[in-house]
Amino acid sequence: MAVAGRKTDIGPPHYENFLPPVIKRNYGKWAYHEIPEPGVLVHVSESGEKLFTVRAGTPRILSIKTIRTFADLADKYADGYLRFTSRNNVEFLLSDEGKVFPLKTELGTLGYPVGGTGNAISAIVHTQGWVHCHSAASDASGVVKSLMDALYPRFTSMDLPAKLRVAFACCLNMCGAVHCSDIAVLGVHTRPPRIDHSELPKICEVPTLISSCPTGAIRPTTVDGKPSVEVEDGQCMYCGNCYTVCPAMKINNPKTDGISIWVGGKVSNARHEPMFSKLAIPFLPNNPPRWTEVVDAVVNIVDVYAKHARKHERMGEWIERIGWPRFFKLTGIPFTKYHIDDFTHAGETFRRSVHLKS
Amino acid sequence: MSEIAVAQVAEAMYDLVKSTHGKKNLKPMDLTKAMIEQFGEGCDKQICKQAIRELIDSGRCIYSYVGGSYITLPPTATA
Amino acid sequence: MSEKKYETPLLDELEKGPWPSFIREIKQEAERPMVRDLLGVLERSYEEHIGHWKHGGLVGVMGYGGGVIGRYSDLPEEFPDVSEFHTFRVNQPAGWFYTSGALRDLCDIWDKHGSGLTNMHGSTGDIVFLGGKTTSIEPVFADLTEKGWDLGGSGSDMRTPSCCAGPARCEWANYDTLNACHEITQAYQDELHRPAFPYKFKLKFAGCPNDCVASVARADMSIIGTWKDEIQIDQEQVRAYAARGMDIEREIVELCPCDCISWDGQAMEIADGECVKCMHCINHMPKALRPGKERGAAILIGAKAPIVGGALLSSVFVPFLEMTPPYSDLRELIEAIWDFWGEHGKNRERVGEFIQRVGLGKFLEQIGLDPVPEMIAHPRSNPYIFFDDEIVAGAEA
Repeated sequence: MAVAGRKTDIGPPHYENFLPPVIKRNYGKWAYHEIPEPGVLVHVSESGEKLFTVRAGTPRILSIKTIRTFADLADKYADGYLRFTSRNNVEFLLSDEGKVFPLKTELGTLGYPVGGTGNAISAIVHTQGWVHCHSAASDASGVVKSLMDALYPRFTSMDLPAKLRVAFACCLNMCGAVHCSDIAVLGVHTRPPRIDHSELPKICEVPTLISSCPTGAIRPTTVDGKPSVEVEDGQCMYCGNCYTVCPAMKINNPKTDGISIWVGGKVSNARHEPMFSKLAIPFLPNNPPRWTEVVDAVVNIVDVYAKHARKHERMGEWIERIGWPRFFKLTGIPFTKYHIDDFTHAGETFRRSVHLKS
Repeated sequence: MSEIAVAQVAEAMYDLVKSTHGKKNLKPMDLTKAMIEQFGEGCDKQICKQAIRELIDSGRCIYSYVGGSYITLPPTATA
Repeated sequence: MSEKKYETPLLDELEKGPWPSFIREIKQEAERPMVRDLLGVLERSYEEHIGHWKHGGLVGVMGYGGGVIGRYSDLPEEFPDVSEFHTFRVNQPAGWFYTSGALRDLCDIWDKHGSGLTNMHGSTGDIVFLGGKTTSIEPVFADLTEKGWDLGGSGSDMRTPSCCAGPARCEWANYDTLNACHEITQAYQDELHRPAFPYKFKLKFAGCPNDCVASVARADMSIIGTWKDEIQIDQEQVRAYAARGMDIEREIVELCPCDCISWDGQAMEIADGECVKCMHCINHMPKALRPGKERGAAILIGAKAPIVGGALLSSVFVPFLEMTPPYSDLRELIEAIWDFWGEHGKNRERVGEFIQRVGLGKFLEQIGLDPVPEMIAHPRSNPYIFFDDEIVAGAEA
């Protein structure tokens, strides 16, 4: 019941409560920044004052023990001030340059890598996976951990042609909105849902269920005298939207769920306009705990890009310059019918010229 | 036409939620459109918003989530 | 209370290697029965290649329709302590800035009531408390509000807005992203907590076209900082970059997408009238180049992930808007969109999909905006035009 004195709708605390004095003094007055070494940013104010940021990678799932450790580190080195980035890195905000090195050393001892700045692979934005999600076609954290173990030197250095953003989503819902990443790793279902006809009438509303299908593959029917639905298998592209609306549409399948890889997306406007990621590999098996096939595929794409792209060229800009046929040739990735779009407006993705390299 | 009382709209909404329970999920806009049709002039989005707030704050209705947010009866009312 | 401890050989593999391990994080809280069962059920998923969670339901705090996401194990007999394992979304402070004290407050609350596991942060930007029982929902909420925190959005509501570091720690902020994010969040607490829309509505505030919060890909309304006048040039610093070895011709001039920069070895010139404010030159010469002084934001609309009707990027809605408190123009725009889409949007139809269905032209008419060529990549090439009565009536007269 609504209790008298119950606080609601207070909103988040005001951000000014959490800004260090050096930021309050120079808010909106930063003149420039530099990256003196991987994982360290220096922002210089018009007044000449400096703010030092030390960035470290985290696994995104954080225990409160670790958050308390971060709070202790912030107290010890940064007067208690820290923030997190949109890619789940932790950043300590220091006004004393002399504390940068000791903080880096202690973070290293604790196992939190300092890096993710400039022309690096920053931490992988990802979703909940088997740890917490109903529609996951794969785990998220396990794939990301395996990938970052392999890509670790790309996090702690800055020797790529440009920054490289990797993202992971465990199904087409894309809570991680991976669809505009340099490399997107995406869990996919590959079979239509299995319908639990006894549960369905009890827990689902048929009209809502039917309208949830993007391709109109779900139709009403009667099973054992009770209202249910049937799925036109040929029309289903396994998005799992019906499962989100109706838990009786079982989409998860341990044998046929897997992982796809997409490349060349970006959100920044620098040089090229923002772009969607495009399909590189339609299906790789779900192979826990280390997802070797996925890790090898991503490392290969990163290595080929690092070797061939020009300075400042993002993945998508590089592929646009060399062309997709050469991308597939250089990476050794087989091109299949699955790479050719067959959904709405697919024709716009066909080559309508004879601009062909030999 | 005189203004319709919020409580009156809330009552009519509650009846609608009750009568469709288990058959059709209703969103706040579904309720709003139904009330504007039922009461005509004098009932508007603002009154409906207040009526929904009254139903929710009193605990007579709750929000549910099935791939989207709906307004429904609390589990105890349907047991 | 479960006493059993599970063998987790598959998960243990993920404690190895240099990157920090989420399994180590989970095991740090494994004195809690709930977290022991989480490890047990996760190991099962690793063995069987399938998740064991059910979603949805009726959980929430009294009066709110958003902020708590119901999560249940589909193996409640075997793993009773995660039979309920709900998610709380706690509205983060703008820009994700914290003090150690504020973080400890949050840790104490979650220590007392939940799994001790979090995401810092979730995909939309909230602080995520991962795994609480139904009975903990009201106590968590009471303790949060007591310390000045509130829940974020979920379901068909305004989702928790988020923003980049903005003027707090970036020289490229073309407006105060933190202030705008905070003020808009506070202005629409009702829309955040009481889902009344056809589907979710996300707002993201990016200070410049680098778009560090990925607003163009992830927000129904993307507010991206930009400027109207000339890029500020410090010629001495330009020469200093050259002196330090930067090949300005190759790295800056040739990579400018609108070919509007020239460099003669002494001075850099920018034909600002041709500049599209992409940020490339500024990104790579931050000491020499800065955005102009007449600053504001471009408002884009409609991005979303694939579900239901396919992925979309946001597209230009207002090419330039001044962004000063109390953000009246922005709020007027937001409310006009909510009003029209709120009434006519179909269930689970994002505003980007809605615009595709009704047409951007008609949408603009309803919102009260004039069409301008900045909104499109090119005019239509297909001749299937639906003419209004007015234009026909005009011709007939």
